[in-house]
Amino acid sequence: MLKVATTLRLVSKHGNQVRALATAAAYKQALVNVPPTRLTVLDNGIRVASEDSGAATATVGLWIDAGSRYEDSKNNGVAHFLEHMAFKGTSKRSQTDLELLVENMGAHLNAYTSREQTVFYAKCLANDVPAAVEILADIIQNSSLAEPEIERERGVILREMQDVESNLQEVVFDHLHATAFQGTPLGQTILGPTKNIKKISKADLQTYIKTHYQPARIVLSGAGGVEHDRLVDLANKHFSGLKNTALDVPELAPCRYTGSEIRVRDDSMPLAHVAIAVEGAGWTNADNIPLMVANTLIGAWDRSQGGGANNASFLARAASCENLCHSFQSFNTCYKDTGLWGIYFVAEPMQIDDFVYNLQREWMKLCTSVTENEVDRAKNLLKTNMLLQLDGTTPVCEDIGRQMLCYNRRIPIHELDARIDSVSAQNVRDVCYKYLYDRCPVVAAVGPTEGLPDYTRIRGGMFWVRV
Amino acid sequence: MSHVPELKLLFARLLPMKNGYNVTRRGVRKFSQDVDKSSSVAKGSVTPLPPLSEPMPNLPPVVYSTVKSEESVTEVTTLSNGLKVASEKKFGQFCTAGVVIDSGPRYEVAYPNGICHFLEKLSFGATHKFATRDVMLRELERHGGICDCQGSRDTTVYATSADSRGLEAITQVLAEVTLRPQLSAEEIEAARQAVAYELETLSMRPEQETILMDMIHSAAYKGNTLGLPKICPKENVNKIDRGIILNYLKNHYTPDRMVVAAVGVDHEPFVEYVQKYFVDMKPTWHSEDSESFTPKVDKSIAQYTGGIEQEECEVPLYPGSDLPELSHIVIGLESCSHSDPDFVATCVLNMMMGGGGSFSAGGPGKGMYTRLYTNVLNRYHWMFNATAYNHAYGDTGLFCVHSASPPNRIYDTTLVIARELANMAGKVGDMELRRAKTQLQSMLLMNLEARPVVFEDVGRQVLATGKRKPPSFFINEIEKITSEDIIRVARRMLSSRPSVAARGRLAHLPTFDEIQSNMSLSKSDASPQGRRLNLFRA
Repeated sequence: MLKVATTLRLVSKHGNQVRALATAAAYKQALVNVPPTRLTVLDNGIRVASEDSGAATATVGLWIDAGSRYEDSKNNGVAHFLEHMAFKGTSKRSQTDLELLVENMGAHLNAYTSREQTVFYAKCLANDVPAAVEILADIIQNSSLAEPEIERERGVILREMQDVESNLQEVVFDHLHATAFQGTPLGQTILGPTKNIKKISKADLQTYIKTHYQPARIVLSGAGGVEHDRLVDLANKHFSGLKNTALDVPELAPCRYTGSEIRVRDDSMPLAHVAIAVEGAGWTNADNIPLMVANTLIGAWDRSQGGGANNASFLARAASCENLCHSFQSFNTCYKDTGLWGIYFVAEPMQIDDFVYNLQREWMKLCTSVTENEVDRAKNLLKTNMLLQLDGTTPVCEDIGRQMLCYNRRIPIHELDARIDSVSAQNVRDVCYKYLYDRCPVVAAVGPTEGLPDYTRIRGGMFWVRV
Repeated sequence: MSHVPELKLLFARLLPMKNGYNVTRRGVRKFSQDVDKSSSVAKGSVTPLPPLSEPMPNLPPVVYSTVKSEESVTEVTTLSNGLKVASEKKFGQFCTAGVVIDSGPRYEVAYPNGICHFLEKLSFGATHKFATRDVMLRELERHGGICDCQGSRDTTVYATSADSRGLEAITQVLAEVTLRPQLSAEEIEAARQAVAYELETLSMRPEQETILMDMIHSAAYKGNTLGLPKICPKENVNKIDRGIILNYLKNHYTPDRMVVAAVGVDHEPFVEYVQKYFVDMKPTWHSEDSESFTPKVDKSIAQYTGGIEQEECEVPLYPGSDLPELSHIVIGLESCSHSDPDFVATCVLNMMMGGGGSFSAGGPGKGMYTRLYTNVLNRYHWMFNATAYNHAYGDTGLFCVHSASPPNRIYDTTLVIARELANMAGKVGDMELRRAKTQLQSMLLMNLEARPVVFEDVGRQVLATGKRKPPSFFINEIEKITSEDIIRVARRMLSSRPSVAARGRLAHLPTFDEIQSNMSLSKSDASPQGRRLNLFRA
């Protein structure tokens, strides 16, 4: 499923619909051509947030502040295992009943687990929102977790693991987390090690639910044809039984970042898959906006785009004109208190060295000499990317859910716009100087990696003596 | 994950940068949870704004829009030269605008095939106004715009999405790229290389859909209209030149064959811009004698022939996965055009057949109770996928099922699919019909959430019929479909000769006659259950 969907999202954080403000006319009311996001907190702490666009369809979902980061080495994999058990029947209805109910409504049920979030959502016709909320409430409160299903899902997950291993991008990002956050829960994979999957029991799953599916950590998010007041009523009806049993949200230990590297050399593969990153900022850090502008300045490119001579990114232009790689994509992955900001690229063995040289030159330019003009272009692109992403009820619902968990509010579009507008070249340089300049990077590489410079050389490229 | 044990070993070899190269710590390293302040990035921010979890001070007050639930109306205006302009209002700050043209490989009969493939690669290039592609993209970028060109067999769509306030600029860009492209020698050379590169990657990729769709159309409409290839044939890559392309454009990119459509804009200003850039300014190929010029277009109606198209070859494997080599089969039948009264029933039937991959991810809602799952994929575990498609065009339609399985199973796979198609004329369950109708309705509405989809729907409908029927019309039409309708369209389809396309290792492929005899209508009156039981007597 979508478990690492968030890792590579170029604009991983907040899409939001933005309306530019009339320049310097602060007194003028900004007209926002989108509906407001409304928020209600229930007595037990569940946050209900929705945006009503009056559409004929809707997406509603549960965003839960739980994921593989909350696991230890013994139960790593439980969160993901639970995601698999979600559609396997509840005490109220069997698996077949659940499937037929959803299929007959023309609805879609989906779930995914990331390192810090667990998500269950349903997409349906607007009239079926009450049924969808009831189903979501049922699967997270009454999942039957029957032994035969648990046994069967073990096999499915082990097979999924093989699939993940054939997706080199996911492999590289798992390695990257494993080395960057070594010895901390963020370094664990989402699927968990084989030995855990083989022995996770019903009791483990129940304990995890009891500890982590606390109403105070759950957001019910809705978008499309969803009336907020009705959604609140539905939440009261179906979730009021949930009580905060744990004392409080367990205190998350900070995850230490370690500049380091992992190389899995395999010369039989045609292409090397490499990620290089530095420690980024946590979700709420205001530096994230300039970091994303910096991200956009590096950009993304792949061969099928052909001549990137017009690309806003210097690196894309260099890559296409000088044949430096097959593809690259910059990323900014955020967690509560830390993050990874960097680049993922795929290159032939003899291209790697040149690509890394060019990449680091661009990185250093970000820290020292990026111009106002370049930054303006990137700001514009960033806004476009964010806005165009929010087309449809599911992306909007996802945005609301994620932002509620990360910021405990949904950033209004005009504010996001103002924040992006306020980024100056100096701001980008300051932020890059802080996070990038003379920092120890993390490197994860799989494939024919002989041509990848030594760690010490890459580290040496993280500063310029001439500045 | 199996690489995790290796990771543990690898950790031991990592360079613990902040401790120097301390090899004695190997294996006994204690991972303290304390953050080492000296090497870690300071947690504060250098950006002079509050954290993202807190509002920014001194923002002007805002007025949000409220729900407008009235169904949006599509306004259509026909300009003096026959060009149609269609628009619709929609929520949100962005608009999608584009040009939908009645042009595609089906009109290439008098030309070397592949022109439309070239045109796709040449789209959004240099024009008379914009000296290079770069200048044009910068102009789009100023309005937060992106652009894209996609062609199907009978329609070509140029589309852009941008901030609504940039409407005039993007209308100009659209007019330039469709009517006044430069098509310089360098650009055509670049397109030639892009097409050649695409042909190369197409043959190396395990996904076969693009090639198979060309093959099934070629089998269904042998040598005419929709049967002409969408992928440029290898021998034409070096044949197509500027003259040929310009000649094609002159004959096909004419105002009466175009609709300029937009979603998320006001109609009046849009019409004004279209008049200014599409009508008042003339196309590249406009000349003095243009008044007397009559475009030559292939107006023939698609002739359904049926038949078989096969290619014995090695289908590339999925890299890094343990999936076996696959052979692909597509069986098609003539369905009906999108203006035919049976069109909606055909769509419901398509939904009822459904199908998909045998191990696709995703929860309930992906069509797990459609016939290709319950009758086919859940029973015959060796099948890799089985999916039903309906391609509807202006004068005909093609209903087909694509399936893939290991080469030694292709015989069984082909006959299972053939019999499942024959079975369509059999009994229709009330439950499955109700489900298919609801799923089609919800799919229609869910797709229309996205602005680009609405735009394409508006453009195509106005191009085909001169107006747009609102989604509610189709919702009602779907509701009216009965099991008799389904059986009627199924029988109608099954009375046509089947079309077959096969690709991969085909030693075990049944003959065309064998496939045909398994699909004949008389057979489908027999109990389907009985036939299924003696299917694998060997």
